[in-house]
Amino acid sequence: MNPTPAILAENLVKRYPVFRGFRDLVRRPFERRTTTALDGLDLRVERGRVFCLLGPNGAGKTTLIKILATLVLPDGGRASVDGHDVERHPGPVKNTVGYAINDERSFYWRLTGRQNLEFFGALYGLRGPARDRRIDEVLRLTRLEAAADLRFNSYSTGMRQMLAFARALLADASILLVDEPTRSLDPQAADRIGSFLRGELVEGKGKTVFWATHDLAEAAEFAHEIAVIGRGRIRLQGTVASLTGEGRTSLRQVYEKAVDDPPVSR
Amino acid sequence: MSCRSRTMTLLPGRLSAFLLRDFREALTYKFSFISSFVGILLSSATFYFVAKLVPSGTPSLGPFGGDYFSFAVVGVAFSSLLGMFQEGLPAVVRGAQVSGTLEALLVTPSSIPTVLFGSSLYSVLLQVFRTLLHLGVALAFFGMTFGRVNGPGVLSVGVLTVLCFLSVGILSASFILVYKTGSPFGWILGTVSGLLGGVVFPVALLPPWIRWVSSLLPVTYALDGMRKSLLASAGFAEVLPDIAALAVFNIILLPASLLAFRMAVRKAKKDGTLSHF
Repeated sequence: MNPTPAILAENLVKRYPVFRGFRDLVRRPFERRTTTALDGLDLRVERGRVFCLLGPNGAGKTTLIKILATLVLPDGGRASVDGHDVERHPGPVKNTVGYAINDERSFYWRLTGRQNLEFFGALYGLRGPARDRRIDEVLRLTRLEAAADLRFNSYSTGMRQMLAFARALLADASILLVDEPTRSLDPQAADRIGSFLRGELVEGKGKTVFWATHDLAEAAEFAHEIAVIGRGRIRLQGTVASLTGEGRTSLRQVYEKAVDDPPVSR
Repeated sequence: MSCRSRTMTLLPGRLSAFLLRDFREALTYKFSFISSFVGILLSSATFYFVAKLVPSGTPSLGPFGGDYFSFAVVGVAFSSLLGMFQEGLPAVVRGAQVSGTLEALLVTPSSIPTVLFGSSLYSVLLQVFRTLLHLGVALAFFGMTFGRVNGPGVLSVGVLTVLCFLSVGILSASFILVYKTGSPFGWILGTVSGLLGGVVFPVALLPPWIRWVSSLLPVTYALDGMRKSLLASAGFAEVLPDIAALAVFNIILLPASLLAFRMAVRKAKKDGTLSHF
């Protein structure tokens, strides 16, 4: 068994510059104002499980995912994926991680699902028959075979989300990052996605799914482990059973107490 | 296989994927695809009739073969091509930011330069084809004539010019990555070059007090060298001053643009604004 954690973050800090108006820029041209998204976050995610990161809007979930996907650079601390430092070795990280971007605009709408996958497959270094086989495989896995040759603009919201998973799986990444994949889906479609992530990818293929959400019910149903993030730090982490005292308290109560707690001193 | 050599092996496949993607998309916009070629015919016809107003043998056209139509066609055809090199990269960055595909492209193992050059490749090749078509239409239907073509001159001026305008394109793309809109580099060079770079009239016609500005524009040397090599049967030595000037522009612009781009990517990643628009 590989002892390296799938994801490791140590004292991770991220501050974004605050937008300033013209008047403010003229009055204080050299002042730099920031807002803190991650405030010394520590996290360890083991392999082969669905890990749900729960937190309210603005808690830092998307920032953490974008740092892990090498799209945002941290200001302090370090993060690694499969042992590769995201800041110093982004190349190996990109080969290890599949980021299922849930923005449907991230596809080419006038191309078919298959044509989109052919294009992104080439960017992942897949070529020729190997690429075609891989595309067929991810289409089968995501149950999009019948719609593969339809234009993306004719897909339903659920199909678009599944194509995002298919794209993220093209490179056979061992770690999948998903950011609120069930947002704007009906309950049945959301349920299918949860079953797909846990059943097909984690239990079937042995992958690690790092899933950011604020939906407590889907976290309770599908996650092997959860963590609650609030004000840029992990407030608690564990299995649903351990956090709820084997059901003696509800996950909602645990969650609300965690996000309302004042920052933990370091 | 080392990481770098694997990247180089995969580069042709990645670039051809960009070409195929853009060709497939262009085919879905059939009217636009066809109308862009009709525009070339109309542009050639316009300059053909304007040229009838300019008597053959006008002194300022002497160094370029003496024929205004040929002068204007080469100027317009090549300045459009140079404009594409200059504006293609920032347009790609802006387009990907607005359409929402930038993050999806940047999470792949393809490098940012590969993504940028690949994304602009189709537009550039299409513009090269349009330039050749422009010259072909002028030669076939409007009586344009070349002199004794100076191949080494055309090649040297062409390569240095492309590198120079790509550098300006990279500078503009860097600006767009950080500030999201309106790169001043492309705008200033594009607008000023159109007026003062000798695109549709010789620089010698400009009043002396402003002519010095032309000497600061790469397009002046690019068009001068290209016209002399194509239209005026000039030898290599005669276009050497243009080649030297373009080389100086490259020595300054190429490293500056690559440095600016590296800094822009880092700043956008630090600010978390890589895909903002």
